[in-house]
Amino acid sequence: MSEQDLLFETADRLFAAVCTFDEVQRAQNSGWSDLSWEACNELGLTRIGVGEDAGGVGGSIADAVALLMAAGYHSVPLPLAESTLLAGWLAKAPGVILPEGPLTVIPNKANDSLRLDGAKLFGTAQRVPWGRKASLVLGLIDGHIIGVTPSQATVSEDVNVAGEARDDLSFDGVTPVLCERAVPEQTKQSLQLMGALSRSALMAGALLRVADITAQYTQERKQFGKAIGSFQAVQLHVVRCAEQAAYVDLGVQVAAREADRGVAAFEIMAAKTLANDAARIASRAAHQAHGAMGMTQEYVLHQYTRRLWAWRSEYGDASWVHHLGEAVVALGADHHFHVIADGSASGISL
Amino acid sequence: MAIRLIATELTEQERDLQAQVRAFCEEHLPRGSFEPGLGMSSGQSRDLSRELGKRGWLGMALPQEYGGSDRSTVDRLVVVEELLRRGAPLEHHWTADRQSGVMINRSGTQEQKQRFLPSIAAGELCFCIGMSEPDSGSDLASVKSRAIPVDGGWLLNGTKIWTSNAHFADWMICLCRTHDADNPHQGLSQLLIDMRSPGITINPIPLLDGTADFAEVVFEDVFVPEDLLLGEPGNGWTQVTSELSFERAGPERWITPVIIVENFLRENADSLSPAAVDFLGHTIARWWGLRQISLAAARMIDEGLAPALQAAIGKDMGTEFEQEVITALQQLIDIEPSLVSRSPFSRLLARAVLVAPSWPIRGGTNEVLKGIIAKGLR
Repeated sequence: MSEQDLLFETADRLFAAVCTFDEVQRAQNSGWSDLSWEACNELGLTRIGVGEDAGGVGGSIADAVALLMAAGYHSVPLPLAESTLLAGWLAKAPGVILPEGPLTVIPNKANDSLRLDGAKLFGTAQRVPWGRKASLVLGLIDGHIIGVTPSQATVSEDVNVAGEARDDLSFDGVTPVLCERAVPEQTKQSLQLMGALSRSALMAGALLRVADITAQYTQERKQFGKAIGSFQAVQLHVVRCAEQAAYVDLGVQVAAREADRGVAAFEIMAAKTLANDAARIASRAAHQAHGAMGMTQEYVLHQYTRRLWAWRSEYGDASWVHHLGEAVVALGADHHFHVIADGSASGISL
Repeated sequence: MAIRLIATELTEQERDLQAQVRAFCEEHLPRGSFEPGLGMSSGQSRDLSRELGKRGWLGMALPQEYGGSDRSTVDRLVVVEELLRRGAPLEHHWTADRQSGVMINRSGTQEQKQRFLPSIAAGELCFCIGMSEPDSGSDLASVKSRAIPVDGGWLLNGTKIWTSNAHFADWMICLCRTHDADNPHQGLSQLLIDMRSPGITINPIPLLDGTADFAEVVFEDVFVPEDLLLGEPGNGWTQVTSELSFERAGPERWITPVIIVENFLRENADSLSPAAVDFLGHTIARWWGLRQISLAAARMIDEGLAPALQAAIGKDMGTEFEQEVITALQQLIDIEPSLVSRSPFSRLLARAVLVAPSWPIRGGTNEVLKGIIAKGLR
């Protein structure tokens, strides 16, 4: 059993006990789950993939991805992607030391107006996950890793389609509590890639759960005197869910492995593209298999399908597809297959 | 519970092999030196099969003592994907290399292994598959071909259908009834049939694209010596359902349109619409993901696991994707594809338009596979 399998299992056990259906509903209504955060924190899960120098517990990108897959499988209502994988990546800049508590990361939306003027921060960061609750809001702005607190911002609260907090934070010339020069590989695009990897991992977990829920429901629900899963037309939906989950799960594993080696732009863009497709295909199939029950708040499916829809829109969808296409065209027909077989190692320039 | 696959990658040795195969293809199959085919329906070249055999690239997973190279399923994947993506003519050895040799090695006697495996690994023998019958398609256990015991062997009567390459093949592995049983899954056996035996009539069945790879094979009192029964008498059902159940997710399930898209890109690089660029980006991601499934399933086989569900997923998703690619291409460019066009893209697309419907049918229909997957998820 690999380290990632062990980590996944540990996290899976904890989340199953703590992030129950009711707790996730409560977090949706209140905007936060202290219970979940404290439980994760106690096991050291909230800083996996963050270097020890920066205040983390260490671990690879693949470790953080395994944790996020488990988080996706249980719709954990916390900024775990931001506190582990993304904070860990930002903390590669020398001098970055992270405080306790939930961290979040500014996703650098295309029309954000954020800028550093001298040492002061101006403008608005849009759709910051749990921006209102973070102990520190991290960002990559104008070649610097910055950290600000929500109290330094004007917070405009909002949620994504899954009901997860996504807040706009406006700054009017505040001095960041953390401001260190970014290292050269910390570009805006590479932050988008790490964000895409984090969402792909969460989505892989959610897809596995959607597949399990749908397989189970169609075995339990009876109509015409038998389980609806015995009808071939319904089986088609069950199989689609399982296929999409397996496809994305595997793609994310490969992307994480390559990311730990350094160059994984192709693998991450491809994995997010597969995850985005799967969000559309599997959620549609799962809802069709569930009928009206799947459309309710009282039934568990929405906790996963709504997250899939939300995460699909975060950190790139159509833009990655177009970007990949342009790179394939630039590389040319003679190398087309090498990209399929060798990924980033084919020399595709992204 | 959900079906999962574990990520894997080529080892250094496997990469070396890949480099050797790529170099071989550059030398023996340069673009423009032959008319490329589509996937498994790519035509015959005994010479190419022999060249591959010489290099130890056929029957790769077979034991060395029987002429194989004791290599692996992943090694075979590395070899066949390089050949398939170029549209190389593989039909002469394809069935023998993919499944007949594996079957004989798994179920055959020592004499059968000595007799067949070295020639399979050398690229000499062409095998065909005797499963479907006029009234037995997906419901294979209902086959009616029957062999009755006679002095020194069996006397076979019946009809097989949809047999690819029957008229070229040296041998067939034929599923037929040898024993009476209450349960239709019992009493079946596999026989190795010399296709030159007296009593065999091969009637070509022209396909809708005009090719004649398909045939009906009629057996009239065909004598089969007793030492050519493969495996246990009456155990044919178990043997035949294991045939291909793991090997089903090979690259041939997703790679067929690669050569078409390559030629599309080559011929239209200067006039691509934004939709075409997106198509190229989307398909490259999906191809990469499907190849990971093939690779992971192959690795599982090499590790002694039985990835039947993973392989079924790979085949179902891969062949559906192949069809989507052909449909999408036609929506991207307004040409009338022609089998005799000067443009390789047009020729390949024309052939693909005609044969693409067969891709999710052959090797177990996707409907049957979905049933298998659904059952596995319970």
